[in-house]
This record gives sequence, structure tokens and C-alpha cells, in this order.
Amino acid sequence: MAKDLQNYLDAFEKAYPQHLLRIRKELDPLNHEVAAIMKHLVNEGRYPIVLFEKVRDVNRNSSRFPYVDNLFSTRELCALALGLAPEKSGMEMSLEFSRREAAAIEPVVIDRKAAPVKEVVRSGNDVDVGELPAARYHEMDVGPYLTMMDVMKGEGGFYEVSFVKHLILDARTMTVSLHHSLRKHLLNIVQENEAKGIKTPMALVLGHHPAFSLGAGALTPYGNNDYGTIGSIMEEPVRLVASETWGESFLVPADSEIVVEGEVIPGRREVQNPFGEYSGYYQPQCLMPVMTVTAMTHRKNAIMQGVFPGHSSHFNMGSIPKEGSLYKEIKKIAPEVTAVFMPHSGVGRASCYVSIKKKREGDAKHAGLMPFLQAGQIQYVVVVDDDVNVFDEQEVLWAIITRLNITKGVDLIKNMPRYDRVLIDATRPLDRPFPEKNRIPEEVMKRIKLSDYTG
Amino acid sequence: MALKENIFWVKCPKCAGKFYADKELRHDKEHKLRCPFCQNRFLDSESPEIFE
Repeated sequence: MAKDLQNYLDAFEKAYPQHLLRIRKELDPLNHEVAAIMKHLVNEGRYPIVLFEKVRDVNRNSSRFPYVDNLFSTRELCALALGLAPEKSGMEMSLEFSRREAAAIEPVVIDRKAAPVKEVVRSGNDVDVGELPAARYHEMDVGPYLTMMDVMKGEGGFYEVSFVKHLILDARTMTVSLHHSLRKHLLNIVQENEAKGIKTPMALVLGHHPAFSLGAGALTPYGNNDYGTIGSIMEEPVRLVASETWGESFLVPADSEIVVEGEVIPGRREVQNPFGEYSGYYQPQCLMPVMTVTAMTHRKNAIMQGVFPGHSSHFNMGSIPKEGSLYKEIKKIAPEVTAVFMPHSGVGRASCYVSIKKKREGDAKHAGLMPFLQAGQIQYVVVVDDDVNVFDEQEVLWAIITRLNITKGVDLIKNMPRYDRVLIDATRPLDRPFPEKNRIPEEVMKRIKLSDYTG
Repeated sequence: MALKENIFWVKCPKCAGKFYADKELRHDKEHKLRCPFCQNRFLDSESPEIFE
């Protein structure tokens, strides 16, 4: 059986029923009600997968589609999505992701009769994306947004898959949020087509196995066939099927829950936002390309997947696909690197903690410069010794407070694209005497068991 | 992290709700702003209050 969202959720609920929360009372996502439940869970420190069984759609009717969120809300959930044990959710998971990312499993094309996403097909004027339970999450969000994966096809035939949001404007029109970030692969494709005055075919994948979404975040170069990379991340070929709009010339994931097909209209722009983004702030209203919806296909019992913006799923989707690649690139020039972590406090994108087994002065700066070159959104790098657990932010801050030489250990790196960068060396100095970290003898820790002296 | 700072705050002439937009939309005569609170569409020149 091919991997998909529903067989993943079924297996997950059997194995971890306490970590899948079913909300059975109807909620209105457009009125922030889904977001309110999600925020209450955050406030309680709970991060289950949440399946909202009854939700209203954009047209304010009871939606035929349930809504699922929080699939990536903890590193343990991400490990499970990748088929790994939860206890391997640290550096081991990041390195495994990087190993798979470097390979490819080519997709296979199947007949439409065998494609679950073709169980219900509508096209042209029969389509109404207002039937989707799109959400307004934060108070100032301008309207209903879809937050999932987009597929476009670049010149030469490669497929680009990325995480993008869409503001629904009417039954068959929505914006396509393509920003001028450093990794603007989808925008490149649209701009290349706009220069020729032609429409850009695209598809939204509103639900698939969670490894599909994580795979779409891989640090692949422009021109990479992302279906192959995603297959490698999923450890099986992505099954594709001909689209309704363009047939065999544009293939969509056959095991998706819902696929919305459409065309980006060259030169047309419409306002979208404010939208509460991963930064924790509202992205300002701005102009974005516009797509006309041409078809919508889905399973009979499809579940729509989304990501609660600016919270842990959103952060992990940004960080986990990058950490292993960063580790490997740092390792090439600084073999003393021991771990890499992109914390939630840096929204999984803007900051990076690197630990090293320091051998000489300068090692920290040597290792710490590489993340800036590899991931354009990283603005802050902190390098610590290998006795500091980079996955424990309190330990990293302790290292900064106790080991940073403020005069020598902070480098401002100017004149890089978009913004300046800061590199903090919070490692112990080796060129002068330095105090030793407190430690209880290891032999005593092993010999004296807490359980022998309590209860 | 670096947030987009080339923005302007604007007050909706219909509901008085305040939100912000990218500077590219300042003095734009073609694209009307959309109020996130009441969905009113208006040009920034119609706003009773702009902070930039």
C-alpha cells in the first residue's frame, strides 16, 4: 500500500492514541476557532496531532472535509513521519534526512483509475474552493488561507514542490504567496513564464503523508526534480497521475487527499495579507501573483491538511530538513562539528546552534560561518563546546552567559544579502586558563540510583 | 530576525480598523487595500490616518 495521510493517521492512532486528539464538535476556521483550539493546546504545552472532524467551510457550510493539523509539532512526530523511532529525533534524524535528501527515488506514473485523488473530479465552473475549510488563524489575517504544498514545473521538465500559502479570493481565484526570499524557486518559474507572457500551471497538494511535506522542505538546488527527492525522503516512489487540466504534461501526486489545479495569470497581482507568519508577526499587506483554479480532485473521504502558522509545526518544517545538510557542509571544512540545531526561538529558520569539539582558537568561527552560506534565512549562529547540548536552549544560553568573551566572541558580518549576520563564539578559550564545569563523579551517578532511595 | 520595516500603517475609512501594508502599495492607484477587519476595499488616499 502506498504511503498516504490516512494510512499514516490510522497507524499512528493505533500506536499512540493519546497523541491524536479528535475534536468532534463543529468549529468555524474562518472565525479563528480552529486556531483558538490550537493555541489553547500550545498554552497547555500539549502538541498532539489534531483532527477536527467537523468544520465549516469558507462558504460557512458544514464542510465535507475534516481538517488535520500539528503533524510536525514535535521532533518526535517528525521522526515518526520519517519512519524513525521517536528517540532518534535529535541529530540522528537530521542526518538521516540529509542522507535521504542526497539520493532520489524516481516517481512512478499510475493510471487515473487507480489514483485515490481522482475519486471525485470537478473542473471549470463546477469548482468552488469555498468548499474547503480554509482558516483565518490570527486576528488580523485578511481572509481564508490554505497552508500546504504547491507544485510547479520548471523549464526542462523538473517539478518544484514547496510550502506556500494562498488567500482565497473567490470560488475560483486565489493569490499565490511567492516572496523574494533567497530560495525563490517557484517565483523563478512564474517569472520565467511571465517574461514569455504565458500562464504557469500549478497544483496545490492539500494533504499527503507527512514525509511528503517534510521532503518538500529539502535544501535542493533550483532545477532539481523534487518528486524524486520526496520519494527518497518517503523511502518509496511518489505515485503520480495525469492532471485534469494538462493531462500527462503535468503530473500530480496520486495519493494526495485533495489537489487543486490552476494557472498563474501572467502580470496579474492582487493584495494579500496581513497574515500572521512564522516570525510571530503579521506579514504586511502586499501584492502577489494570482491563480485561476481550473480543477479540484479529491478522495471521497478526503481530509484537508494545514499548518498552524508561527507555531511548532511551522518551525520544525523549516528546521529539520536543513539541519543535516548544514552539519554535513560544516563537517567538510570543520570536522570538529558534533551537532547542529535550529531552535524554535529562531522560528526554525533564523538562528542556528552548532557544537564543536574545539581544538584551537578560531575553530568556532570557522565552523560558524558555514550556516550563513548554506541557508540564507539564518541570521544568528551560536557555536558552543560539545559538552553543551545544542537541543537544550537553556544550556546554550548558559554557555553564552558564562563562556562568551563579548569583546572577541561576537562578529558582525556585514554586506551579506538582505541583512547583516551575527556569529557568537560561546566556546571555552583554549589560550588561557579557564574554570572547569561542575560535575558529579560519573561513577557515583551510576552507582547511586534515585529509585533505590525513593518510594 | 529582520522584519520587513518598509511598511505603513493605515486606518480603514469604513470601520476604523488599523493594519499595515508594504510601502509598494503607498500611493498605488491601481490596487485597492483590503481591510482585514471589514473587508472594505479602499485606496490609501481615502484613509483618514496613515502612519509611515
